[in-house]
Amino acid sequence: MQQFVQYTILGLVLGGVYFIAASGLVVTYTTSGIFNFSQGAIAMLAAFTYWQLRWGWGWPAPIALLVVLGVLAPALGAVLYQVVMKNLRGTSEVTKIVVSVGVMLGFLALATWVWNPTASSPRNFQKFFGANAIVEIFGVRITWHEIISFVLALGIAAGIRFLFVRTRSGVAMRAVVDDPELLELNGGRPERLATISWAGGAFLAALAGILITPITGSSMSANALTLLVIDAFAAAMFGRLKSLPRTFVGAIVLGLTNYYVVAYFPSSWTWTSAFRQSIPMIMLFIILIILPQDRLRGTTVLRTRERFHMPTMRTAWIAALVLVVVMFSLQTIMQPSPMKTLAYGMTLAMIALSLVLLTGLAGEINLAALSFGAIGTIVVFHFGTTGSGLDARMTLWGIVLASLVCAVVGAVVALPALRLRGLYLALATMAFGVFVSKMVLSEGNPRRLFGRDFTIFPGGTLRIPRPKIGPVDFNSDKAFLTLVTVLFALLAIGLVAIRHSGYGRRLAAMKDSPAACATLGMSVVRLKLSVFMLSAAVAGLGGVLMSAQLGAVSAERFDIFLSLSLLMVTVVGGIGYASGALLAGLFLGCSLLAMTNTLTKLGADYASIQAIFAFMISAVTVLPATIGITMGKNPSGAVTDIVKGLNDIKQARPLMFTIIGFEVGIWLLTATDVLTNWNFVILTAINLLVVPPLGGAIMKKRAYAKAGVAPPTPAEFIGIDRAYTQLDLDEMESVLGFDALGVAAPVLHEGEPAHAPA
Amino acid sequence: MPLLETVGVKVRFGGNVALDDVSISIEPGSITGLIGPNGAGKTTLFNAITGLQSVSSGSVMLNGKDVTKFAPHKRARLGLARTFQRLELFTSLSVRDNIRVAGEIRNRWKSIGGGRMDATAEADRIIDLVGLRDVADREVGEIPTGNARVVELARALMIQPSLLLLDEPASGQTEDETEAFGKLLRKLAAEDGLGICLVEHDMDLVMNVCETIHVLEFGRIISSGSAEHVRTDPVVIDAYLGAPESVG
Repeated sequence: MQQFVQYTILGLVLGGVYFIAASGLVVTYTTSGIFNFSQGAIAMLAAFTYWQLRWGWGWPAPIALLVVLGVLAPALGAVLYQVVMKNLRGTSEVTKIVVSVGVMLGFLALATWVWNPTASSPRNFQKFFGANAIVEIFGVRITWHEIISFVLALGIAAGIRFLFVRTRSGVAMRAVVDDPELLELNGGRPERLATISWAGGAFLAALAGILITPITGSSMSANALTLLVIDAFAAAMFGRLKSLPRTFVGAIVLGLTNYYVVAYFPSSWTWTSAFRQSIPMIMLFIILIILPQDRLRGTTVLRTRERFHMPTMRTAWIAALVLVVVMFSLQTIMQPSPMKTLAYGMTLAMIALSLVLLTGLAGEINLAALSFGAIGTIVVFHFGTTGSGLDARMTLWGIVLASLVCAVVGAVVALPALRLRGLYLALATMAFGVFVSKMVLSEGNPRRLFGRDFTIFPGGTLRIPRPKIGPVDFNSDKAFLTLVTVLFALLAIGLVAIRHSGYGRRLAAMKDSPAACATLGMSVVRLKLSVFMLSAAVAGLGGVLMSAQLGAVSAERFDIFLSLSLLMVTVVGGIGYASGALLAGLFLGCSLLAMTNTLTKLGADYASIQAIFAFMISAVTVLPATIGITMGKNPSGAVTDIVKGLNDIKQARPLMFTIIGFEVGIWLLTATDVLTNWNFVILTAINLLVVPPLGGAIMKKRAYAKAGVAPPTPAEFIGIDRAYTQLDLDEMESVLGFDALGVAAPVLHEGEPAHAPA
Repeated sequence: MPLLETVGVKVRFGGNVALDDVSISIEPGSITGLIGPNGAGKTTLFNAITGLQSVSSGSVMLNGKDVTKFAPHKRARLGLARTFQRLELFTSLSVRDNIRVAGEIRNRWKSIGGGRMDATAEADRIIDLVGLRDVADREVGEIPTGNARVVELARALMIQPSLLLLDEPASGQTEDETEAFGKLLRKLAAEDGLGICLVEHDMDLVMNVCETIHVLEFGRIISSGSAEHVRTDPVVIDAYLGAPESVG
């Protein structure tokens, strides 16, 4: 009995802290419509900052608390809204999710940068008044810290409820998300309210972070602390991101389950600890299953800002051919080590391609692409290899089986969330990702299954050989790079083919307006399921090849944070295009590694200024997140700009031939060992980055000189640099659609200033 | 048997009653108008009929079949199609593909009345029928609102409905376009036997094409009847139309 009381109290306390974090999520979601994935990272940052002030610098607790909770956290929230989140109005749900994931990754990188995870002395985070400040209730010893936590949770629950239901600004806050413009017309100030709510949300996250760190007794690890508060997602979901009382119930159930599992699972079960860590994610999954169906809404924004243009099949074939030729030429002049890196990048690109299919074409989100890669890898390890030792090879059958299993697992993961909005599917995949990391990849011990001993992930590292398909052996680095390049090219062509097919059009229709699709008689659920399965299969295929490239893979290779980075970089690259996936894979798999390697080498060479290079390495790790955060400003991705540049170059034949000629020349010189590989890289960069704008500018000038006309005036200078013409007015009229509104088009009369008639 | 019958439909949003005891019916080959001030519940009624909004009480019958509990796509497969007041076009597709994909969606229905269609050819036919030839190959986000509303109509026609709900189809159209549009509606009703229900603020169009007009205010039907009846009903003039000289 005493044990029951003890664990109940501990469970209530943990539940209370979950509620504090979850209520922050509800508050920001209610007022800004953005699900704040960075909530956990904010809590983690706050815990680290508090540790720094309290124990690192020895400040008294009240002052440290005041600084973190009263000043820094709210300021962070407000700045986050003003600088990043405000720009997300009118973007798709994908962009909203990716940007807040970007913020999370940025904070994580920042924390590992500032607080070195391999510090010599462990960071000791103590409870309020120390671990010995204990009272006895019902014969059970409880620390003051725990009492404070639970009382705070109750107070916050009551406070927020009062704020939302009873006060004018609370009601206005709830109105913000429904219709900010209407609220503004009624005298409300949506921007200010949203800023305040983000400040409040960050405060709640920070409080949760400081309370939870000593309760769970976990070490101060940035990743673990972030995931800890992500557990609160389940509670917020139980309240459907709206209801605080239900969120409270969800949080308490979560906390209690957590401790009852410890108390009552037999200690002989070796998986209890892993199971305990997965409880929130399992609960999230169950909640998704039992949530009632969403009302199909119309699109909340009339025109999203993301724009993807569909390449023709011909363009796709040419691009694929160019890619294969370029990779083939590269591998002839390459050292083995960079070739390995390049192949790794290409396999990541293939996984990214599964995201293009799912997100770019169908508008759905998968936050755990690499977890499917993990499933595929496990399947291949157990059922898809022949031979042993150096002669071991992956079989074609193994690759096919891995993809199929991934498709089926994908169906199981997606099924409960398909009836719901995109955000819920995203959360389901994240739950799956955490589950795979915690429960599947940690399975290093043999288990008896169906009377047979079976180990899912023996020894924490799987050796995955490279494939041999029929008579063709892809064991060498060169052959393998060619294989993944050709496969990527084929998949990319397939992607464009899908986009041009009836299936692709139905996907696009579903992405643009699920409501319209339903009223045309489409069963949205089945279509979503099919594309998710297809995408999971591609992710599995890419993951298997990634493992084959690495040779030996450990669980960290499939980490949820890596999946999130890949998604983010793909969106930055351009989630609508296969080339966006290529860019993402190469950036994450090659460029980042190349940059850190180069900086490390420079640091070793110039030991006196090694600190500067160490700093730059840290800066590089923050880079992807920084790019991700800026997505709100350019949601269509980098490829859009690159394609535009390429099109300009294609129009300018001489320029195109100059660039190709240069490049072939550089390659020939390198192939004949006249140039070193480093010079090849540098010259190529100059050729691709500097020549186009320079040459373009020269060609433009020449063309205008030849035609004998002045270059066109930019729109904003019309009327200043030269007078309005009827042509300008006609164009303006067609853009503004005066005609459609039944207003007479403006006509410019001779010698009269232009104005539109009333 | 009427194509559509709503029986005492009631929709609540929290404490607000958006629709209260609304009963209307639509016959094949007829054009019914639905008018009333903004916020009267016209679009909510369309949402309740198509299943995008669940009803608190009352029932919706299509061809005598109670579909109150049916999902939207099941109702569409019984011959119900609609357009949206806030455009719900597929912005990543061209005008032609917006229309074609509706046929392709129809081809995937489990039970297709009349068998599969050649979606490409049918889209061409419909494009000519509604007069979208000039803009057929443009991005749907680039065309004027008046045209975009016609795209919604064309898309709805692709699933060969027997009942068509049009939500403010003429807003954003020029006078000429509206006139042609009215002719098209009459043709669809007369020749194809389509039942059409029209929510519209353009009184000329409504009074010209509709045989029956229902007037909604605060979620209730306050008047029903012919154009002449509604036009002269003092309740309607008071609630919506205003004094006769300002009727535009």
